[in-house]
Amino acid sequence: MRLETRKLLDRSFTASGVMAIVLMTAALVILLAPMFIRGSGAIFFTATVEHRRLMMEKFERGNRPTIEAEIASARSAREPVYQMMAEFEKQVEVMPATERRKMTTQLKELKKALRALLGPAPGETRPMLMRDQFGQTRWDRAQVKLGRVMFREEWDYSHPERGSVKVMKPRVDDFAGTALAPLFPYLTAHLDKMLLPAKTVYWQFLTDESFDSHFFGGIWPELLGTFYLTIGAMLFAIPMGLIAAIYLTEYAPENTFVSFLRTCISTLAGVPSIVFGLFGLAFFINTLGVSQSKSVLVGSMTLALMILPTVIRASEEAILAVPRTFKEAALSLGAGRWHTVMTVILPAALPGILTGIVISMGRAAGETAPIIFTAAVSVGKPLALWQVFTHPTPALSWNIYNLATEHEAMDEIRHVQYGLVLVLVTLVLLLNLTAILLRARVAKRLRG
Amino acid sequence: MTVKGSIQSGIATRSDGSSLLMNHRTRRQQRVVGFLGSGFLLAVTSLSSFAVLFIFYFIARDAFPFFQLQGFKQFFTSAHWYPSSATPEFGSLAIFIGSGLVTLGAALVAVPLGITAAVCLSDVLPFSTRQVVKPVIEILAAIPSVAYGFFALVVFAPLLQERGGQLLQVASWVIGAPVAILGVVVAGDLLTDRIPASSRSWARWILMSVLGAVAFWGLWRLGVSLGGITISSGTNALNVSIILGIMALPTVVSVAEDAIQATGRELREGSYALGATRSETILRTILPAASSGIMAAVILGVMRAVGETMVVWMASGNAAQIPQPWYNMLQPVRTLTATIAGDMGEADQATGSSRFHVLFAMALCLLVFSFVCNLVSEWGVRRTRRKVGR
Repeated sequence: MRLETRKLLDRSFTASGVMAIVLMTAALVILLAPMFIRGSGAIFFTATVEHRRLMMEKFERGNRPTIEAEIASARSAREPVYQMMAEFEKQVEVMPATERRKMTTQLKELKKALRALLGPAPGETRPMLMRDQFGQTRWDRAQVKLGRVMFREEWDYSHPERGSVKVMKPRVDDFAGTALAPLFPYLTAHLDKMLLPAKTVYWQFLTDESFDSHFFGGIWPELLGTFYLTIGAMLFAIPMGLIAAIYLTEYAPENTFVSFLRTCISTLAGVPSIVFGLFGLAFFINTLGVSQSKSVLVGSMTLALMILPTVIRASEEAILAVPRTFKEAALSLGAGRWHTVMTVILPAALPGILTGIVISMGRAAGETAPIIFTAAVSVGKPLALWQVFTHPTPALSWNIYNLATEHEAMDEIRHVQYGLVLVLVTLVLLLNLTAILLRARVAKRLRG
Repeated sequence: MTVKGSIQSGIATRSDGSSLLMNHRTRRQQRVVGFLGSGFLLAVTSLSSFAVLFIFYFIARDAFPFFQLQGFKQFFTSAHWYPSSATPEFGSLAIFIGSGLVTLGAALVAVPLGITAAVCLSDVLPFSTRQVVKPVIEILAAIPSVAYGFFALVVFAPLLQERGGQLLQVASWVIGAPVAILGVVVAGDLLTDRIPASSRSWARWILMSVLGAVAFWGLWRLGVSLGGITISSGTNALNVSIILGIMALPTVVSVAEDAIQATGRELREGSYALGATRSETILRTILPAASSGIMAAVILGVMRAVGETMVVWMASGNAAQIPQPWYNMLQPVRTLTATIAGDMGEADQATGSSRFHVLFAMALCLLVFSFVCNLVSEWGVRRTRRKVGR
C-alpha cells in the first residue's frame, strides 16, 4: 500500500474516532434537550384564570380580591357563550323530531368539549371529579381544547386501500344557520378574555400535593418518596459497604475464601435490577416479613443491596489510592491497625469514598425496577417519617413510568410527566456534578 | 490480627507512659479484641457477599415449582404465551427471542461506537479534550433508565412512526457515504498497485470514478427502498435497540478504555519504531493485546442491555410473538425483564400458581446468564492484565 493511502487510512481512522465521540455527545444532547425544554414547562408556563382560581380555592394563594375580579371579568366574557346555548336550546325545542335528535347529540358533544375548555357552566351542579370542576389551567392545553370545540373528529372509511383516515370537521358547519353559528368565531376571538392567560412561575410544583391523580397540583409525595428511599438505601449500604471495603483492603488474607467473596461481590454487581425487585419480594416480604406488603423500608433494603457492590468497589479504590507511606508512617509511630485505618487511611480516602457514595446515591434515586414490587404505589399522600416502616410510597421514577403508560389520560398530563423527568434527571445530574467536583479536588490533592 | 500489631497498639494507647511493655494479661486482652474486631469485619463482608447466594437461592426456590408443574420442554421450545387463559400455556420462546433480538440490536449500536470511542479517548484525543468527554460518558451512564424509557416512548416512538422511513434513509446515508468513499479510495489504490508507475495515476482515477459511481448508485437504491418503509408502530425492537445501545455505551467505553490503557507504552513505542502509523499501531498491536479486555467490555454492555427493564417495558410494544422474519426489527417484541415487571402485578394475587412461579423461572434464567457473563468478563480482564505483564 502506498504511503499516501496509509496516511489517508490513518486520518480516516482518527476521523471515525472523533465521529463516535461526536455521535455520543449528540445523543446526550438530543436526549436531554426535550427533557429540559418541556420539563421546565411544568414550572414556567402561561396560566389561565382557572389556575389562579384553583390556587386560591385549594391553597389560599394569591390576592383574593384581584383574583375574584379576574374571575368576574372572565365570567362576563363567557356569558354570551351560555346565552347562545340557551337560545339554541329553545330553537331545538321546536325542530322536527329527527333533526332534533341529531342536534341534541351534537349539542351534548359540544357542551362536553366546552366544559373541558372553560369548566362547568354557571348554575350547573358541582361535578364530582376535580378535573371537571375547573377549566383548562394551562394556556397551551386550552389551545388544544379549543381545537376540540371547533372541530369534530370523524373517521373516513371511503378509501379502503388507505384504511381509516381521520378527518377534522368544523362544528360551525353542523350548526350553520342556527343561533349557535356565531359561537365559534366568538370563541376564537375572545378566548383570551375568557381565560385571561398570564405568564406564571409555579415553583410550588415541587412542594404541592397532587390532586385528582396528577391532573392538578405538584409532585411533593413523589419527591419525598424518592428522598426516603434514597436515604434509607444509603443508611444500609454505606456502613456495610465501608466495612466490607476496609476488610477487603486492610485485613483480608490472600486465600480462596476471600477471592470467593470478591467473586460474589462482582456477581452481585451484575444481577439485573428487576431480579433485585423479585428477590426483595420473595425474601424481605414473603419470607422475612419485614412488612406486611410493600413499604419504604423494604424498598430501601432492596436498593441498598443493588448499590452495595458500587459502594464497596469505590471505597476499595479510594482506600488503595492512599499512598503507602501514610500507612507506614502511622504504623511506625506505634498505632495499631484499626487505629491506622480510622485516623489515617479513612480521612485520606474520604473524598474518594464520598464520590462513590454520591454516584450510587444517584443510581438509587433513579432506579425503578427494584421498587416496583417492594415500595412503589402510583398515588399516595406524602408519608410522615414513622410511616416508612409500613407504608408504600409514590416515587419519582415509578411515577414517570406510571403516568406515561398507565394513566387514564396520559396525553392530558404530559407536562407533569416531563416535570417529573426533569426533576429526577436534575437530581441525578446534580449528584453526579458533586461527584465530579469532589474527584477533581482529590486529584488536585494527590498531585500536589 | 497478629501479635506484633497488638503490641504496637498497646504502646500507642498507653498515654501515661509508665511502662512500654505490656504484661501478659493486657496482651491477651488485646489479642482477643483484635480477633473479635476482624471477625466482625469478616462477618459483615461475608454478609454482603453472600447476598448474591441468597438471591440465587430465593429466586431458584420460587422457580423450581414452575418446572415441577410444567416441565422444561414447553417453557423453552413453544412460543405460545397465554399465562392467564383457562388452560394456561407458558411457552417463552418468543420472549427469549425478543430479549435476544433487542440485545443484538443494542450490541450492534454500542459495540462499534463504544470501541471506536474508547480507542479515540485513550490514544487519539489530547488530554484537555478528554477531560470534557469523560463527563459526557458519566452523564450518559447516570441518566436513570426510566428517563431513557420515557424518551423512547414519548419522543422517539412517535418520531419513528411518523417519519420512520426518512429517518432510516438519512441514517443509511450518514453511515454509508463515508464508508463508501473510504472503500473506493482504498480499493482503487490496492487494485492499481501493480500497474507501472507511468500510467498508474490516470488508471487509478478511472477505476475510482467507476467504483464510486457504482457505490453511490447502490447507496441511492438502498436509501430509496429504506425511505419507502412505513413503520406501523413506533414502539418496536428498533426503537428499544437504539436506546439500549446508547445506555450500554458508557459501560463499553469505560471498560474498553481501561483495557486499552492497560496495554502500556512499550507496545505502542515498539510499533511506532517499526514505522507503523497510529491506526496500524492501534489495529494491529494494541487491539489484539487488549482483546480479552475488550471482550469483557462487550459482555458487560450486553449484560446491561439484557438486564434493563424500564426501557423495554415502556417502548418495546410488549407483544409476545416471534418477529417475521426473526430479524425484523420493526415489529414489537417482548423481553424477559418486561414480562417479569409487567406480569407480577397480576400474578402476585395468585401466589403459588405456575403463573407466579414462571416469572421466577425467567428471573433465574437472567441470573444464570448474568453470572456466566460476569465470570467470562472477569476472566477477560484478568487475562489482559496478565498478557501485558501487569
